[in-house]
Amino acid sequence: MATPAISIRNLTKVFPIPFKRERVVAVKNLSLDVEPGQVYGLLGPNGSGKSTTMKIVLGLIPPTAGTTQIFGRDSSMVDSREDVGFLPENPYFYKYLTGYETLLFYGKICGIRGAALRDRAEDLLKLVSLENARDRRLGGYSKGMLQRIGLAQALIQEPRLLVLDEPTAGVDPAGSREIRDLILNFKARGITILLCSHLLGQVQEICDRIGILHRGDLVREGRLEDLISIENQTELILENTSPELLGEIQALVTKSNARIVENRKPQTTLERFFLDVTGGKS
Amino acid sequence: MNTLPSKTKHRIFSPSRVSAIAGNTLLELVRLKVFYFLLLFALLIIGTAGFTSVFDFKIQEQFQMLKDMSLGAMSIFTLLLSILATAMMLPKDIEDRTLYTILAKPVPRFEYLMGKLVGVFMLLLVSTLVMSAMFALALYAKQQVVIGESVHGLTPSQVLEVTADIKAHAFTFSLVPGIVAIYLKAALFAALTMLISTFATSSIFTIFIAFTAYFIGSVEGIAREYWYASPTSGQLAKIFLALVALFFPDLQLFNLVDDIVAGNAIPTALFLKTVGLGLAYTGVYSFVAYVIFSFKEL
Repeated sequence: MATPAISIRNLTKVFPIPFKRERVVAVKNLSLDVEPGQVYGLLGPNGSGKSTTMKIVLGLIPPTAGTTQIFGRDSSMVDSREDVGFLPENPYFYKYLTGYETLLFYGKICGIRGAALRDRAEDLLKLVSLENARDRRLGGYSKGMLQRIGLAQALIQEPRLLVLDEPTAGVDPAGSREIRDLILNFKARGITILLCSHLLGQVQEICDRIGILHRGDLVREGRLEDLISIENQTELILENTSPELLGEIQALVTKSNARIVENRKPQTTLERFFLDVTGGKS
Repeated sequence: MNTLPSKTKHRIFSPSRVSAIAGNTLLELVRLKVFYFLLLFALLIIGTAGFTSVFDFKIQEQFQMLKDMSLGAMSIFTLLLSILATAMMLPKDIEDRTLYTILAKPVPRFEYLMGKLVGVFMLLLVSTLVMSAMFALALYAKQQVVIGESVHGLTPSQVLEVTADIKAHAFTFSLVPGIVAIYLKAALFAALTMLISTFATSSIFTIFIAFTAYFIGSVEGIAREYWYASPTSGQLAKIFLALVALFFPDLQLFNLVDDIVAGNAIPTALFLKTVGLGLAYTGVYSFVAYVIFSFKEL
């Protein structure tokens, strides 16, 4: 069996409240695995412990109890981060750097140098469709562009794991779709993704597996399909159906023990409608 | 897409990572246009040089005034620069979450902190060198003007004598220890400000504490002399003063400028002691900053 990309065992994090005897338990005895190549959605309302879990996985804060590993390496050790790329929620980066300089900076701190770094930066700018903005300072980037340069910096050292915190927060629908497509592209390349998001529709489109945190507890966890499919129902979408055929189907259903729960016209999504109307441009 | 060459083993300490962060820090400060203060410095020394010519000062007094004003301004400007530039770094990186993106890469915390400090040290070095060059230029210009005014109607041998005398009051290498001490004091305050910012809650608080430390450091020498000389001061006061000296450097020890301006040579032993003290305080402050930062929950 392959080593999990992320392995969390009995993780607990308690924050003391300064000048009080009270303590806040942010994460309670959490255990989960993220397998290589998976897109794992960590969901939960504000204050549920998602960000705390992510910060512990990234070694930014120590756990009170339990262990976290990245591809088998203790994630509190600096060397484990060779395999990780991270995009925080609402990142600003250094406004005085251009997109290209930003990627060179992050590449250098990952130990990449010379032509290899320059080529990698150019490739990533193309990948996130920012090659035309390569020499513009980040201070002039839109929200969606900042998120895309953030994804590019996260990928600079070719990590096997990407940790994304609300990657589409504050981004318009077209920008949001571009980021979603990029995430699917990374998934196709075999990159493991841990995604924290409030946008459940997007999580549903992207994730293979999800975990739902509530007040620090992992209340549900599993394959997305298994968790949300209704086992005793079947969806049948027909095209160019005549009223006669529909009548026959209903008669057949009535004869059997089955029941038609709902009979309606399928709808497009509001996102699809919006993008069609605006031509998919941000 | 091109793939990178096979990954090398992670190194516990990498000078190239530190230099990348230091270079970026210097670039940040340069692009924030902090060097504009150098224009102010240039105006100040040009003004002083012109001012000393207007009144009927002796030649020696004119040069002393220019040196005093220029070195004093260098000391204040480098100190302001070191405190203000350092105080905003860590809080801003945390607020913008850029710190997370850096520390989520294989970058140890001490390398991040070291890179930031080295960036400020480089900025201070460039600023000190540019101000020293301006200062030397102002002294040279003043020297040429004074020589031109003083040699009318003198014999060639008298001209040589007067020229040598004027040059002795202009830029000499005896000024260098004073400039080095100014740089060390600014570097020490950069490290102290970084230390404060590792636990402070805001840049304003950091700046306030750093300037308070400057005030304590400026007066502790005088206070010590007074209390030690006073017959009523007890053992407790002496312990208190020793503790103050442990945490805050006595800035009078870095003030070599007064002697230099007065024309006194700085003994090598005193200069080396000042350098050693500056490096020791900078090193200790940097180390304590690292210890606090390494335990900080981000």
